[in-house]
Amino acid sequence: MSGTSEGWVGTEFHRKEDHRLTTGRGRFLADLVVPGMVHIVFRRSDHAHARIARIDVSAAKAMPGVIAVVTGDDIKDEILPMPQPVVQPALPANYPRHWPLAVGRVKWHGEPVAAVVARDPYIAEDAAETIEVEYDPLPYVGDPESALADGATIIHEGWEDNVIFQMDFTGGADADSQKAHEAEVQKVFDGADIVIKERFTCHRCGVTPMETRGALFDWDESDGMTGWLTTQRPHIDRLALSDILDIPAEKLRIIAPRDQGGGFGVKAPFYREPMLIAYLARKLGRPIRWIESRQEHLMAVSQERDQIHDLEVAASKDGTLLAIRDRGLADCGDGCEGVYWGFLMPFLGAVELPNAYHWPIGDIKVKVAITNKSALSPARAFGELPTRFAMERAIDMVARRCGMEPADVRRKNLVAELPYTSITNEYFDSGDFIKVWDNLMAEADLPGFRARQAAARAEGRYLGIGFGLGVELSGVASELFVPMENQPGYGAATVRLDPRGKVLVFEGDAPGGQGHETTVAQAVAHSFGIHPNDIIVTTGDTGTTPFGSGTVGARAGSYFVSAAVQACEVLKEKIARIMAHDLELADAAPADFSFADGFVTYEKDTNIKKTFREAVERIIMAPINLPAGESGGLEHTAFFEAEKPMIAFNADVCTVEVDIETGQFKILSWTTSEDVGQIINPQIVEGQMQGAIVQGLSNTMFEEFVYDENGQQLTADFETYKLATAADVPDIKVTHAPTPCPYTPLGSRGIGEGRPSDVPGTLCNAICDALEPFGIEITELPLRPDSLWRQIQAARGAS
Amino acid sequence: MYPAPIDEYVRPATVADALAALGRYEEGDAVFIAGGQSLMQAVKARLVRPRCLIDLQAVDGLSGIEVGAEGLRIGPMTRYAEIARDARLGGAWGALGDAARRVGDRQVRNRGTVGGSLCWNYVAACMPPTAIGLGATLELTAADGSTRSMAAEDFLGGPLETAREENEILTAITIPPAGANAGSAYKKWGLVTDALPVIGVCIALEAEGGRCTAARVAVGGLAGGPQRAGAAEAALAGVAADDDAGIAAAMDAAAREIETQGDLWADSDYRKQLIRSLGADVAASAFGRAAGEEAGQ
Amino acid sequence: MSTTTITVTINGETIEETVPVRMLLVDFIRERAGLTGTHIGCTYEGVCGACTVQLDGEAVKSCLMVAAQADGHAITTVEGLAEGGTLSPLQRAFNEQHALQCGYCTPGILMNMDEFLRENPDPSDEEIRHGLVGNLCRCTGYAHIVDAVRQAAKETG
Repeated sequence: MSGTSEGWVGTEFHRKEDHRLTTGRGRFLADLVVPGMVHIVFRRSDHAHARIARIDVSAAKAMPGVIAVVTGDDIKDEILPMPQPVVQPALPANYPRHWPLAVGRVKWHGEPVAAVVARDPYIAEDAAETIEVEYDPLPYVGDPESALADGATIIHEGWEDNVIFQMDFTGGADADSQKAHEAEVQKVFDGADIVIKERFTCHRCGVTPMETRGALFDWDESDGMTGWLTTQRPHIDRLALSDILDIPAEKLRIIAPRDQGGGFGVKAPFYREPMLIAYLARKLGRPIRWIESRQEHLMAVSQERDQIHDLEVAASKDGTLLAIRDRGLADCGDGCEGVYWGFLMPFLGAVELPNAYHWPIGDIKVKVAITNKSALSPARAFGELPTRFAMERAIDMVARRCGMEPADVRRKNLVAELPYTSITNEYFDSGDFIKVWDNLMAEADLPGFRARQAAARAEGRYLGIGFGLGVELSGVASELFVPMENQPGYGAATVRLDPRGKVLVFEGDAPGGQGHETTVAQAVAHSFGIHPNDIIVTTGDTGTTPFGSGTVGARAGSYFVSAAVQACEVLKEKIARIMAHDLELADAAPADFSFADGFVTYEKDTNIKKTFREAVERIIMAPINLPAGESGGLEHTAFFEAEKPMIAFNADVCTVEVDIETGQFKILSWTTSEDVGQIINPQIVEGQMQGAIVQGLSNTMFEEFVYDENGQQLTADFETYKLATAADVPDIKVTHAPTPCPYTPLGSRGIGEGRPSDVPGTLCNAICDALEPFGIEITELPLRPDSLWRQIQAARGAS
Repeated sequence: MYPAPIDEYVRPATVADALAALGRYEEGDAVFIAGGQSLMQAVKARLVRPRCLIDLQAVDGLSGIEVGAEGLRIGPMTRYAEIARDARLGGAWGALGDAARRVGDRQVRNRGTVGGSLCWNYVAACMPPTAIGLGATLELTAADGSTRSMAAEDFLGGPLETAREENEILTAITIPPAGANAGSAYKKWGLVTDALPVIGVCIALEAEGGRCTAARVAVGGLAGGPQRAGAAEAALAGVAADDDAGIAAAMDAAAREIETQGDLWADSDYRKQLIRSLGADVAASAFGRAAGEEAGQ
Repeated sequence: MSTTTITVTINGETIEETVPVRMLLVDFIRERAGLTGTHIGCTYEGVCGACTVQLDGEAVKSCLMVAAQADGHAITTVEGLAEGGTLSPLQRAFNEQHALQCGYCTPGILMNMDEFLRENPDPSDEEIRHGLVGNLCRCTGYAHIVDAVRQAAKETG
């Protein structure tokens, strides 16, 4: 259908969300109040692993203003335990049984053991303090290697070992085929010119959003349960709550507030706390609100990465990659977390390990171990930040051994022709990696940098340049999502036309700052030829929106927007059919009508046109004299599933200067080259990239969840779990080398989710390049000046 | 997250009233709140549970910076932001501005006070080593109206310890007059910009003909509390501003003599290296100021 | 519970309220004055800056004060920035430069930068970044925030 002359797609349109957010009129969860609302505070475990010997809540119960105090024993017969099917992947794994409050044992420092409901949150905290818990400590299992060692303490009752999940990604399903495959890979290693073998470790860190979690549940007998929840997946939460609390799904409505203060994956799991709050709201007949403290947040959720990879790469001396072998080991924590269970991130990290390089063969296995920490919960760059760090470092190490520029080794081994299926069976649908890479190299001016580097080195200054690249999922197709999370991957949108010619769009996913209201308004405006301000977007309310699996995996730009555009196309055809009928244009096809500048125009005689409002109002408000088979009204829900799973691609370059006396360094520049297909809003794309890269930098340089030898978490506030400030990071230059995606109506690709993943490798490559005279190869994160200084000292001492 | 219950809030107008309010409570039950930027963290974490908050914001005469023949007199309620923008605090007093401009962040500098920082004496704080480096004298007033003065280095003990008696209030910080050819500077390092110092170094020196005649070196960020580095002070004497090796040797002496700890942010050896590297920068800056250059950050 | 009666002028409107002595200023602003544009992002540490308001014109963190300390003072919150419904140049610049994503940290940043620009009408990028140290933003990577502050400085300076 022609008629998208209004160029709203691809233009800089200032966000519709911003007026309310810059004037203090945003409505976040903590801003919501329901009459009669009371407050809940959790008492959390002081121990990492212990038997609960006794809990005395009598003092708390006696405090004025306290409404209820509950422990695990109080609720274990009232709430079905996890796992429940809707939040359990279709992957073979051990799924630990758990309730919202610890029953019998605590398994990590910070696990909820009791909860207080009170009239006022200050009083709830006073009461929670008075709860006496007596613990019999059990041995602390603090890392995956000791969790898997012989004689290790088994953390989950009834398990045979501490393995939650393991998988061979390349060798087939049975032991014989795996063995044969291993031998085949070994042959390649035996014959290779160059073999790199390193252990790469990535610390525990994540992407904590500025708004913590929260929930507000309200029950009444006639309407059932309404819950406002900080979540990326309201529809999934609804089904899970229905199962666990045995409330019919039709009596449950979950609303993700229109404004959410970031998610980044952290708000995607189905967590314990909402189960308990919903249960108590019904039991007590009071609306209950919970606002998580930052300390709770940093202890209970937002912990990701935490993988060890024993990685081997075989290459020939001309820099051709021949084979890869990886044994991954991840520290899952207790694994008690709906949807993800702490292991889906390392699972996908392994899938993404080969990155955008062509590997003729590989042998990749991963094991995920239960430990006494909180379960890994997703963070942007889902599981792949550790594997990409390992891969991007390994490529540089290969280059060094070959005496080649790391940039040349990358280009030489990039997958040059798409579509392509990786050795871990990841499908690369479309795009042009070489074009993106060459665009980056044009920005990088490598020869110029090498000259400056040489001049600086002569003065005793150490400059370095580093490269990295990454493939990320652009939405998660059902064919991947159903086995991985037991959820559909389609994007869904309802487009409802208003008699006044305005458009309402309903999205079942729940954004948290990505600008969906603006992006989809631009796409719909483009489609109907009207202004984006004439489009109102409602998100995240299960009572009004179509089913969606959630705001995850960069699926808005690929799946949700595409569904909205599809719905628009269906409605446009209907408008065109009825207009042709009204105008008695017997020969007119829907394609003969254009939608532009607020008009629907018959292109074969452009004097024949109606305003968009007239055309719409006629069908909604005056449904008489319709063509046979047509009905009135204009509303359509489209479910978009792409023909193929889709990806997006990017590459980065950064330059640094290292002070060898202190190991301190400064990032001098950062440039990125992207293929996001057809851009819908360039500012939003740029913002996604800049934000993601800085998250990656902050993870690499500053953030770390640290536990002592007894499993006490030492970094659980922003004074100790440090985030990058504006003064700690460089400006990020974003450039584009787009190839439109053939599988989406606009050619757009969802982008941004995976973007932090190549940041640590890129930065460490630059540092190692600067320190090349000392032969330093960074294999461990975080990247801290003290450790770098020690390595420089050791190298200087040795030389 | 929320303070434990607090019975009373008072806002006295005079030092005498402030001390009288303190006297009405058992020891530790009433606390002075100056800027509150550290205290409120502890109150919200319920590590400090005051029954009474005595807010010093309205106490007459506790705020402001006076420059006179006897040197610098700084009211303890003077906020970092005021020190940071006071153009008179260069040269010999340059370290004050260096420290104040880099404490926390803008919001903290708008509220936080120099006296509050000294009386709290947190392990990772900028004002304690700066006060020691500058040879500051602290004046304490007791409930009976008597006053006593002591050197900052005697006042400041281990972390969170000071020589302030329960019935006393800090009423002034005095810093000796700026000698001709004197300069001072302060610099710290933390993992993120303007973070609490992992190590902070303050050097105040006098120079004649570009050669150091006397120096004070103080280091903060230490488990033992802020300390003077006597060996470094001795080693700096006689060193010329352009004698990099001499300065490095002096800072190495500081690194050797000072006991450093390891923690989340740096191990003990790296702290020593920070003393060396920051010390060299600070010495250069102090020499520059002594020579009348408008150095600093 | 021990209470105290305080009088605070918020965005030009004087409010007298009896509050618990321990009530944090940020809770007073949000719960008593009903101005929920001021946000909370930390537990006790006062590091994130989302709660930044202006106290007598100076940017301060309202989570690091009890409300009683503000008795007799004037507070401006993000709701008080737009005069007569017209966005301030800084607010407009945040929109035009796409300086916010989730918007949770934005009110605190606006209140800090509003004062910053009064003090420093022609800042360098480095000065802007240094001025922003007390405000954590998780979404933007800060680059567009710097662009917005620079734009506002140019327009007003």
